[in-house]
Amino acid sequence: MINNQKDVLMDLVINNKHISIRAGGGRCLLDFLREDLSLMGTKEGCGEGECGSCTVLLDGKAVLSCMTPMERAIGREVTTIEGVGRPGNLHPLQQAMMEEGGVQCGFCTPGMIMSGVELLNRKSNPNRDEIVEGISGNLCRCTGYRKIITAIERAAEKMS
Amino acid sequence: MKVRGIGIGSMVYGVGYGFSRPDFASAEVEIAPDGTVTIWSGASELGQGIRTVLSQIVAQEFGAAYEDIRVISADTDKTPDSGPVSASRSTYVQGNAVLAACKDLKQELISLASELMGVESNLVEIQNGQIAAKDKIGKIISFSKLASEMHVQGRRTHGFGWHNNRTLDVDKNTSQGDAYSSYAWASQLVEVEVDTQTGRVKILRLASATDVGKAINPQLIEGQIEGGAVQGLGFALMEEMQVEQGVFNNANLSTYLIPTAADVPPIDSLIVEVSDPSGPYGAKGMAEPATIPTTPAILNAIADAISKRVRYSLASPENVLKVLGKIDGSGKEGFLLLEDIPYPVA
Ligand code: FES
Ligand code: FES
Repeated sequence: MINNQKDVLMDLVINNKHISIRAGGGRCLLDFLREDLSLMGTKEGCGEGECGSCTVLLDGKAVLSCMTPMERAIGREVTTIEGVGRPGNLHPLQQAMMEEGGVQCGFCTPGMIMSGVELLNRKSNPNRDEIVEGISGNLCRCTGYRKIITAIERAAEKMS
Repeated sequence: MKVRGIGIGSMVYGVGYGFSRPDFASAEVEIAPDGTVTIWSGASELGQGIRTVLSQIVAQEFGAAYEDIRVISADTDKTPDSGPVSASRSTYVQGNAVLAACKDLKQELISLASELMGVESNLVEIQNGQIAAKDKIGKIISFSKLASEMHVQGRRTHGFGWHNNRTLDVDKNTSQGDAYSSYAWASQLVEVEVDTQTGRVKILRLASATDVGKAINPQLIEGQIEGGAVQGLGFALMEEMQVEQGVFNNANLSTYLIPTAADVPPIDSLIVEVSDPSGPYGAKGMAEPATIPTTPAILNAIADAISKRVRYSLASPENVLKVLGKIDGSGKEGFLLLEDIPYPVA
């Protein structure tokens, strides 16, 4: 990406780790995460705020990282899919997505899980309508959504 | 006013390329001394689950543990040519190639097992993940023991399989003949609600019955059925490529709409198993068959609800209102009339 902007000091918390680095400014948070921090879990589907695959949490709230200027994350807390769980220590929703078959090609999955995690943090026992609303900004071309919805229900059961 | 209607859509689908076109796959398997097995297949994983299915096939054939199987796939530097993933052929053609690779090695496995257990080789049986002697209850040898023994004794541990799915062509003059080696069938039933004021169509529920031959992995099949139905729903109601002089006018997701979680109706997935002896364990292809009947079923349901047929490329609110005569178009059912469709002349 061509970037004529000045360097900025990116001082923030990412996945519970404090970082402070100089980076070329004027880009979206998605590019900062992927290009500078090699956090490749967050995906770019459309790059224009339509698909939800770039969803991350900013101070616990789901945002589209392709539409968020990286500077907006300074002094705040960002959670990406890498911070949600790791193999051997998966988040209940990651586990449920595997068990229920909520993943096919996997491209929507990180964003889908971030929206699901935000919903589960907000509401311990969401009903089906609330789940649908929670992920309605996340497009999936493969699964038909039903198994993803079921996975969120299962995760909610397990977490309560 | 809101009116309801029910529609059905059915299809028959030729699996693979058919019409005598080249349609083959190759695969290799290798048994390691620790009882793990590696599969090399050109099959590419797009999320349909072919790596899972190939592993299941090997586990079944060798009595190995599913977890101990590793797949190296779709890497032209390493894997043999298995042809593309298309035409709903991966389980059917590429699965058959892996099955052939297992069979290539299986005799080796069985003869060693018969020596170790001291029984005739025709009495050796691979079942439920174990290698056992048919006549001697309790005589069992584990696959991992067998694997290590193969290496100790220097037996062949590498198998190769090739599956040719080339069929005959149809008769050039009559277009008659058997163009495919396997045919899949599917039907879907849809109930819709049409708002005659706004033209909006809501899918209330959908049932999809797909003949898969044999469900090697029912959960993956359900995923294909549900995903296929939702793509078909998008094709019927919202997805329209607007092309003008070869240029797409709606080449992004804000103008080319695809279904979201909020558009998805309750879906009943019915897996029908009419075994096809030409497929692995009787399995057929089923990916495209899961999506083909949806659009016609929806359009039929709309016709049932409003007693008029939408023949536009999609049943958007605007087109439904046109057909209802509520906006310009004055009741015309669309541009594609039955008499415009050319039929082959016998
Ligand atoms: S990549 Fe951000 S919404 Fe699609
Ligand atoms: S799993 Fe492929 S887009 Fe959702």
